[in-house]
Amino acid sequence: MKVPIETGYFTIPEDPAEKPRLLGTRCRSCGEHFFPRRVVCARCLDQEMEAVPLGPHGTLHTWTYVHFPLFGTKRADHGGYAVGQIDLPEGPRVQSVLSGGPDAFRIGMPMELELETLRENREGQEVVIFRFRPEAA
Amino acid sequence: MTGPRRLEDVAVLGVGMTRFGVFPERSNADLAREAGLAALADANVSFRDVGEAFVGYIFGGAMTGIRAMKEFGLTGLPATHVENASATGLVAFRDAVWAVASGRCEIAMALGFDRMSAARSEGGRGQGRDSIDGVILPAAYFALWAMRRMHERGTRPEHFARIAAKNWNHGALNPQSDRQPDHRVTPEEVLASRKIAEPLTAMMGCPVDDGAACAIVGSRALARRLRPGRPVVSVLASVLQTETWTPGHTFLGPVVGPASMSRDTARAAYEQAGLGPADVSVAYCHDAFANEELEYYELLGFCAEGDAEKLVEEGATELGGRIPFNSDGGLIARGHPGGPTGLAQIHEAALQLRGEAGPRQVPGARTALAHLVGGGSVCTVSLLARDVA
Repeated sequence: MKVPIETGYFTIPEDPAEKPRLLGTRCRSCGEHFFPRRVVCARCLDQEMEAVPLGPHGTLHTWTYVHFPLFGTKRADHGGYAVGQIDLPEGPRVQSVLSGGPDAFRIGMPMELELETLRENREGQEVVIFRFRPEAA
Repeated sequence: MTGPRRLEDVAVLGVGMTRFGVFPERSNADLAREAGLAALADANVSFRDVGEAFVGYIFGGAMTGIRAMKEFGLTGLPATHVENASATGLVAFRDAVWAVASGRCEIAMALGFDRMSAARSEGGRGQGRDSIDGVILPAAYFALWAMRRMHERGTRPEHFARIAAKNWNHGALNPQSDRQPDHRVTPEEVLASRKIAEPLTAMMGCPVDDGAACAIVGSRALARRLRPGRPVVSVLASVLQTETWTPGHTFLGPVVGPASMSRDTARAAYEQAGLGPADVSVAYCHDAFANEELEYYELLGFCAEGDAEKLVEEGATELGGRIPFNSDGGLIARGHPGGPTGLAQIHEAALQLRGEAGPRQVPGARTALAHLVGGGSVCTVSLLARDVA
């Protein structure tokens, strides 16, 4: 059983063949997309927002490799982690942990959403977060 | 909406601060008292004369500021807590300035303190383990900005290292600075220090600090009366903004918002003051990491877009250069406790404009700019000038 680190940000498909999506909103008035979900449009202030799934594909706007263990993981072997900002084709720029080593990334490369298990909680459920990985060529 | 009202008759009457550093044996109240009493003495006023106080801190918890104010005596004055993350102290200053400008009081106190060394593991969203954006260190955000800059402009880590080395070396000239290196710090030394997040190294970032700083604000006439013969430090602008929506806005995770926020806030401050970047003699900015300072050269209007690297290569922002930045060492060397950081900028700006900055004096400094961003995010810019008699 997988549970999200926080609800309302991404889907956890039961079918392993199905790709996870980010949970966003689209403003019916100005058409702007947002992640995460909003009630009021940040651009035109309209309140007619509709829920839309976003991703799972995007391009890498920028990235870095952090030389510290990732907060929230139990993996002591894990010396660092990559972080990036991904531009979704719908518009939003999403900041996310990236999957891959310090040599895995270049700005502009295609990226794909995936789910990562951070740890098990007290109920024995897998706590998962979204991250992006370089799309297989 | 109306345009910005001009500040006409507000001055910094006095400034005071503790040295920044890690002081496990000192309390917030102890630090606040030292800085506040120093500022009151510098202004030549009694706490009884202070009409209103704005107390800035990030980490202390509810009531900490009002309780710290009791260190000065119980006079019944109105006091308000101010919190805007890293920008807290400079925002408290803005509140004090406009409290005087509005006529609400004759003398206002802006006081900031924090013990970040004790509070590091606490903090709000973005630092908790069980939140969607809690897994990413704030340092990573500035590294993302640096990597994008390198991609777009061909900036090299050496540019960031040179800025950091400059601020370490400025800190060596400042007795209030946390970092006071005993040798000339080189860009090579900065580059060789521990990697934090590509391309940033430990020496490119600010330390974790404790400390307090304070500014007393009143009218220019009062400044002249209290300290006859001393140059009067006028406040020409003090502006605060939050983010404006722009395409590509990232809602989840980043520490600070679009770069345009600093540009817009600086423009509003220049407009309020009726001057421009060419009039500024010395500047202070949010150099939590050195790459930020490089970006602010452009965003605050000191060079054209894409020319910041050239400014670094020319040494233009070093003491002795065309537009010295962070003459007191900046966040990188002087330190960054949080609440008092912006008031340390005002402290240094006032000393520079009074010609009292000793070995780091910018000759003939006439106008100073202080800029901070705060997570969330906000940007605040103040402009100070020495009165021409």
